Amino acid sequence: METTLQEIHEGILDGDANAVAEKVQAALDEGIAAPAILNEGMITAMAEVGRLFEDGEYFVPEMLIAARAMQSGLALLRPYLVAADVKPIGVAAIGTVKGDLHDIGKNLVVMMMEGAGFEIKDLGTDVESGTFVDAVRDGANIVGLSALLTTTMPMMGKTIQAIVDAGLRDQIKIIVGGAPVTSKFAKQIGADGFASDASQAAKLAKSLVG
Amino acid sequence: MKHRDRVSMALNHKTPDRCPMQVSFTPEFAARLSQEMKMERGTLHNPHGGGNTYELERALDQDMLLTSVGWANSYYQDANEYVDEWGVGWKSVEYTTPYGTGHYTEFSHHPLAKDTAISSYQPPDPNRPALYKEAEWVLENFQDEYWIVGVAVTTIFEAAWALRGYEQTLIDFALNPDLIERIFDIPYHYHLTAAKKLTRMGVDMIWIGDDVGAQNAMLISPKMWRKFLKPRMANIIAELKAINPQVKVAYHSDGNIYPIIPDLIEIGLDALNPIQPASMDPARLKRDYGEHLCFWGSIDEQHTLPFGSPDDVRAEVQTRLETIGKNGGLIIGPTHHVQLDTPMENFWAMINAIKETPYPRS
Repeated sequence: METTLQEIHEGILDGDANAVAEKVQAALDEGIAAPAILNEGMITAMAEVGRLFEDGEYFVPEMLIAARAMQSGLALLRPYLVAADVKPIGVAAIGTVKGDLHDIGKNLVVMMMEGAGFEIKDLGTDVESGTFVDAVRDGANIVGLSALLTTTMPMMGKTIQAIVDAGLRDQIKIIVGGAPVTSKFAKQIGADGFASDASQAAKLAKSLVG
Repeated sequence: MKHRDRVSMALNHKTPDRCPMQVSFTPEFAARLSQEMKMERGTLHNPHGGGNTYELERALDQDMLLTSVGWANSYYQDANEYVDEWGVGWKSVEYTTPYGTGHYTEFSHHPLAKDTAISSYQPPDPNRPALYKEAEWVLENFQDEYWIVGVAVTTIFEAAWALRGYEQTLIDFALNPDLIERIFDIPYHYHLTAAKKLTRMGVDMIWIGDDVGAQNAMLISPKMWRKFLKPRMANIIAELKAINPQVKVAYHSDGNIYPIIPDLIEIGLDALNPIQPASMDPARLKRDYGEHLCFWGSIDEQHTLPFGSPDDVRAEVQTRLETIGKNGGLIIGPTHHVQLDTPMENFWAMINAIKETPYPRS
């Protein structure tokens, strides 16, 4: 890997947003292609962040600052990716279901999926099932549903049903997660997959549509 | 046997006639339960506003009565938007269950969201006599019979994240350690003052803590907990035991906190709450730490109580008594407020199994 890309990679692992922005600019100035910066500097770094998280070496603060560092570089890189007509590996609509305002888990999934190369429509928290349906109509090909509470978990099933009722279920993949959610529950409500943390959610999404 | 003796025996690793019990509810479940028991709703008490009343707790034959001073009392203050005395903004969000509609109160504003806000921030005063009226009344009326717990939970980290914002607080651990130390000191000093005052008033146990566990792992690294939170927690415990060496201290954290349990024992903790069984194996905790630590909670609120059958609930109570509760050392109850989605037959299966199961003799 070229030195500058290596420095972007390390800046993300260290959560150093300024260094990442600086090095992305340097890479562009050196004439390194935008897709190479994304794939070899950033996506590999976020995959490493996910591995460190799963191995218990990184925790939520380290993951958050790594993701922010990645975003600072991505903001600079995005116009070049658009110009190079680089397509995301998928478009994901992600939100916490109706009745539930918890967002840290959902935000981590957003960051890790963005770091895996997805385009994200972050629908926020307390999201009506109709809003997920609209996002699918607008082009999302994967839907991520989050819930922290047993009292709001049933809304995941209702949201999937709304997507079925709209005749859109076959076009997309649906993944679910959140503290009380299990793979058994995911199967019961007709989701395509369950992940127990943000890193695994990104891997799962990639395996489903990547 | 007196309720307080039951708890005292358990906390001294002895087996009382039955396992002592403590149960809390959301307001909506409490309303359902009061109706079922044909009881008038009494006056709500804290923590977390919840739905608990001393009338309901005593009617259920619970063994501990709780009284709370601190930021945690800001939950459920109003069904509409409100700002608590710490300057934290709140709003209500509604959810629907097979048993009706409920609401949770959630944050809408964090007064210390901006880095500079701390320089002009005035926290509330923990020395106001009115804050301790409920504790005074409970001690006077019920301490002969019940084990009285002074509550100062959301002690440091949780109240700080209400002041600062959750994600920002987590980022601050890594990027703004000096600022977050200053923010931590605000709730720390408040809750330390409250806990000391409650201890001087004569409560039997103080309950402190912060949620530092997620479902499968710690939220922050054990290293960060040791750097930012352990020294403050250690000092609280030391100051309380200096006032009354007999006072017991319980610590709350949701989720998986295996790595810091030896640290908690080292700083003098007596009881760990709530032991979410989907996050930490209760039997393993007993094997590894049961000699030095008591446990409080352990009935699954994520699966068994809302979604299991009454037989599942009874089996879980029995399992707990035979494992984490073996030879005492357990105050049993659901890990969190019983939620509105819980079938009433499951709730009674839990209460009756606890009350009717004599303590297994080894």
